Amino acid sequence: MIDASPTHRLALLPLLAALALAAGCAQEKTRYGDEKAVETVTNQFGSTDLQMIAESMTRSMLQDPVIASGNLPIVTVQEVKNKTSEYIDTRSITDKIRAELQKSGKVRFAVDAAAMQQQVEELQRQQSELYEKEQAVEKGRMVGAQYRMEGNITSIVKQAKDVKDVYYKFNLQLWNIRNGLLEWTDEKEIRKTTSKG
Amino acid sequence: MKWTWIIIAVLAAVLAAGCAAKKGFEKPGFAYGCPIGDTKIGSMEDLIKAKVLMEGKRTTIQATEMRCTMTGDLLKIDVNLNNDSSKIKRINYKFRWIDREGMRAWEEEVWKPLLMSENTNIVINGIAPTSKAVDYRLILQSQE
Repeated sequence: MIDASPTHRLALLPLLAALALAAGCAQEKTRYGDEKAVETVTNQFGSTDLQMIAESMTRSMLQDPVIASGNLPIVTVQEVKNKTSEYIDTRSITDKIRAELQKSGKVRFAVDAAAMQQQVEELQRQQSELYEKEQAVEKGRMVGAQYRMEGNITSIVKQAKDVKDVYYKFNLQLWNIRNGLLEWTDEKEIRKTTSKG
Repeated sequence: MKWTWIIIAVLAAVLAAGCAAKKGFEKPGFAYGCPIGDTKIGSMEDLIKAKVLMEGKRTTIQATEMRCTMTGDLLKIDVNLNNDSSKIKRINYKFRWIDREGMRAWEEEVWKPLLMSENTNIVINGIAPTSKAVDYRLILQSQE
């Protein structure tokens, strides 16, 4: 039997107060981290996966004769289909690949389908009477892409009692628009395993 | 008779000099195809010492061989990593690209995780992101 006499209850009060204080002090801490560090918070698609895929695809593509020739091929970015069971912003992967390729100075990018609306609207706006005719851009001067980049990402997820295994496969392709030939393709595979205990 | 001995001696000297030339050192400023600048590199161990760095937690994984080549105007590197222990090792690695002036030629790469089974060799490779990258360092870090 627990003795719950008033004297004992009073003795518990400082202990309870200390516990409440400690709980109140356990505040969240926010710190800046290394954006290039290996992230393993969960086994879902993460920043390390995105960065590794973009780096691997870019370096591979830079070695392809179409790009390495120095002819500054014009490429347009099309969709990367997400065939996995989780939400992945595939646009952020292609944006990163595009940024790295553009920075390399070996590729030029033509406006893609997603940005076409804004491009046309800006062209039409400059045709209005609000703009000086001499300085307004002319219609019919846009340059079409010679190659289109598209791809897909798939995953296989296996789960047992204490283990979850995720396998991602990212595939990217560079198609010649004129003749329909596949000029370059490469894959990046990633395996992540999470186990309890 | 005297001339015969002189000719034999000259031929022997030429032959010895030819055999002594190490493969990969033909081009000044390069060893095993890798750029070394003015650094004195006499062996593969010297090259690895000059090019491999550890950052963060040190790893027992060792680079045992390193060779470079040019693919177009981009520097390409193959590195042989060795786990000679009887335990699985997990490491991260990245390449750092350096330009002609010794400055960073590209932004820092993402750390790439690598699982190495016990008593294994794995070849990793790096390709320069730009032709401005004329030198490099391989950086290793233990995950454990």
